[in-house]
Amino acid sequence: MTGAPVPEPGNSPDTPAGAPGTSPVATLRPARPRSRETLSLLAHNPTAAIASVLLLLIVVVAVFDETIAPDGANDIEVADRLQSPSWEHPFGTDDLGRDILSRVILGASVSLKVGFLAVGFALVVGTMIGLLAGYYGKWVDDVLMRFMDMLFAFPAVLLAIAVLAVRGPGSGNTALAIGIVYTPIFARVTRASVLGVREEVYVRASRSVGASDWRILTRHILPNAAPPIIVQTSISLAFAVLAEAALSFLGLGTQPPDPSWGLMLAEGRGYIQLAWWLAFFPGMAIFLTVLCFNLLGDGLRDALDPRQRTLMAGGGK
Amino acid sequence: MTAGEPVLEVEDLRVRLRTPRGPADVVNGLSYTVGAGETVAVVGESGSGKSVSVLALLGLLPARVATVTGRALLQGEDLLTMAPDRLRQVRGAGAGMVFQDPMTSLNPVLTIGRQLVEGIRAHGDVSKADARSRAAELLREVGLPDPEGALDRYPHELSGGMRQRVVIAIALSNSPSLLIADEATTALDVTVQAQIIDLIEGLQDEHGTGVIWITHDLGVVAGIADRVLVMYGGRCVEDGTVDDVLERPAHPYTRGLLGSLPDLAAPVGPDGEVPELTAIPGLPPPPTDLPQGCVFWPRCPVRADPRCETEQPPLAVVSRAPAGGPAGATASGAYTGDGAGLPHRAATWCTEGVDGGSRG
Amino acid sequence: MFALVHLVPGDPVRLALGTRFSQESYDALRERSGLDQPLVEQFFTWFGRALTGDLGVSFRSGETVTSQIAERLPATLTLAFASILVALVIAIPLGTVSALRPRSIVDRVATVISQFGISVPDFWMGIVLILVFAGTLGWLPSGGYVPISEDPGAWLQRLLMPALVTGVVSGSVITRFVRSSMLEALGSDHVRTAQAKGLPTRQVFTWHVLRNALLPLVTVTGVQLAYLLSGVVVVEIVFSWPGLGQLALQAVQARDYPVLQGAILLFAVVFLVINLVVDLLYTAIDPRIRR
Repeated sequence: MTGAPVPEPGNSPDTPAGAPGTSPVATLRPARPRSRETLSLLAHNPTAAIASVLLLLIVVVAVFDETIAPDGANDIEVADRLQSPSWEHPFGTDDLGRDILSRVILGASVSLKVGFLAVGFALVVGTMIGLLAGYYGKWVDDVLMRFMDMLFAFPAVLLAIAVLAVRGPGSGNTALAIGIVYTPIFARVTRASVLGVREEVYVRASRSVGASDWRILTRHILPNAAPPIIVQTSISLAFAVLAEAALSFLGLGTQPPDPSWGLMLAEGRGYIQLAWWLAFFPGMAIFLTVLCFNLLGDGLRDALDPRQRTLMAGGGK
Repeated sequence: MTAGEPVLEVEDLRVRLRTPRGPADVVNGLSYTVGAGETVAVVGESGSGKSVSVLALLGLLPARVATVTGRALLQGEDLLTMAPDRLRQVRGAGAGMVFQDPMTSLNPVLTIGRQLVEGIRAHGDVSKADARSRAAELLREVGLPDPEGALDRYPHELSGGMRQRVVIAIALSNSPSLLIADEATTALDVTVQAQIIDLIEGLQDEHGTGVIWITHDLGVVAGIADRVLVMYGGRCVEDGTVDDVLERPAHPYTRGLLGSLPDLAAPVGPDGEVPELTAIPGLPPPPTDLPQGCVFWPRCPVRADPRCETEQPPLAVVSRAPAGGPAGATASGAYTGDGAGLPHRAATWCTEGVDGGSRG
Repeated sequence: MFALVHLVPGDPVRLALGTRFSQESYDALRERSGLDQPLVEQFFTWFGRALTGDLGVSFRSGETVTSQIAERLPATLTLAFASILVALVIAIPLGTVSALRPRSIVDRVATVISQFGISVPDFWMGIVLILVFAGTLGWLPSGGYVPISEDPGAWLQRLLMPALVTGVVSGSVITRFVRSSMLEALGSDHVRTAQAKGLPTRQVFTWHVLRNALLPLVTVTGVQLAYLLSGVVVVEIVFSWPGLGQLALQAVQARDYPVLQGAILLFAVVFLVINLVVDLLYTAIDPRIRR
């Protein structure tokens, strides 16, 4: 603990930051970073840039999985059971002689599909709820947000398990379960942004000239709420992939014989002493995907949301 | 008030900050002195380097990003080359500091008493009980009602004005010879401002403390200061006695601030309306990219000399110099002699029209 | 939640009886469990009994739900508190060090570690730990739980790995929080006032930075503890840890309503209690919230 703890330079009141004297008209509507600027900001953040490239790669692999995978997901070669990694099978083979590399590649599409579906659901439903609650306020806000708080307070895994118990296991239901879990987060983030701008001059101005609620919501309020929602989307994708793996691991998500990373881990668990590669490679795939989404989320947060309005969805696995 | 022995002598103070946009020269060769019992006002817009220049004196800028050079003698000892441990002793005991926002400059989770006591005990072997009674005495001195009771209260239980009194009590708790007030009244409303100014003036008379008063409020300056230093772009562009600077401003920037230069104070509008004074169009130069010539050149409506654009004008005596210096020609008529015997200096190539304030 | 539980498809009576049973025994069990009553009535009966501590009887084992939960509670409490301890031991120093030197090597390493902890699937980390410490090195048993009263050594051996896994995950979340909270405290005006008073660096740090930065930590720790107590289902499965999460999962799989309801009720209570404790703690340590 050497050296005095001192404020960041940006915090000294006299460092040039403010811009007094700009014309009031220009400040009526706050400038927002445009997508090109965001991209260039991301490019200046090497970690986020690398993460984006890796993610792109993962998505490409997931899209062309059938073409890329050397073997089919369920090509059983009993003679090749539990082969350790080799040139022929870089990630080895499992207890039924299936090629693990192929299954990891094919599992990518399952994991990502569930992840995107889940977050897509949470994004659409949550944002709508947040917009309505924030914009109309009063009882609409009370009812919607009370319900969201209830969902939010509930342990995420148990909530997902309960939804799956109701709907039965399977990929589609897993996506729905995870989507429901993450809906409140999007509702909260959106609502907070809406409250922030609802009484801004430019919103009041367009209301006074008779713009419809719909127009105000889509033209003025949603764009302002977009940065934290975008950041939240990236972070939620990370947790959705993780949650899908966890639920499949528990036997509630994707069902065999479909190749899902979580399921492969569960299957490989029994052979851990005998053949470590069964569980290791799918786990690595989950880890890398989740890490990339998180890093991208962090990069986006730095670039888009300097006020850090995004909730940290920490621990909500 | 007369200036006694100098308490603080600053010579060629320079501060360079490392920023993401490259090095920023925030303070560029500032020199001034503060005498015992004297009040020096440092004025300028935000971003002129006022606060940074005093934070640098006490080593309160982050060492990772700030490079400070020059000399700053506090009662003969150089603050800038001092060992860190000695500097710590000087903070509080040699120089006390009052900050802008009393809402945030006190720790919200510690009692007022604790925050006073820890300052007192950091500078002397004082028992807790003694420090506490000294703290109560200080609070009485700054005019806090029920000082004993206030010791056990938390900052949020006091009003802004009362909190600022507490901050002043903390700054004065070790009887420093120098008090630095960084926008100390800016965040307060006008009546409270006046009370705080009175308080500091009273305490200053009593203890003979030298005061550096940083502000952008020229009304406050007129009320409290003996001398004024006008800062722009990290430089002193004009200094002198209050009367000289406020009544006979020589630098176009100062004149702009005072609104005495119609060219600067926004031209008459198309509808013939005269806008409010003291609005200088444009922004101060970014410290990462200072102009080559006069720092004020990009915003200056005068630009009467070809050197303005290319050469930085030196700080030269405007009104008392017997001869020489670029301002010598206009000196004779301007100086009325306030008795302080202090030179009135400005860093500009253009000093014509100082007296009249308008250039036709 | 009651409604949700009852929407679970599948007939619990059928599951409880197995594949061969007579219509009489089916009706008898249905009546005994009160499942022939309308749902609303079932709810009020259950709720009334729950208030007296009677959560009903498990369909599967025939034991009372209360005793099943009580049996699992020590394991869950042990793991939760051990994990939060690990988490804080990781998070406070790591977060502090990286806040003191933002953008330095230490900060970058700390960020990588916490990013790792947030992104790593906990069950995978558990499996890898088992592979290394139980398999290759053979230092620790691969799972199970022994009460501390029986054998403290065995208790600790079995606790280490699961506590490390959940602790790293929670700790990573808390680390980021400590870092940002510490940065905010470091940049606050009152820290500058404290420095300007001439306080020794250490005193400034302890009383004006650390103290203020750690206040909001109470909330985050509370949230993490609630999450840990409500069952780290997956980690419990990996380490065969007989906790509440495992119980809840088994109840879902077996459509054992009374157990599931009991577990969910307990989680709700845990959540409320932790919130209450956090609020009380705040009033005790943060003068701004008093009264």
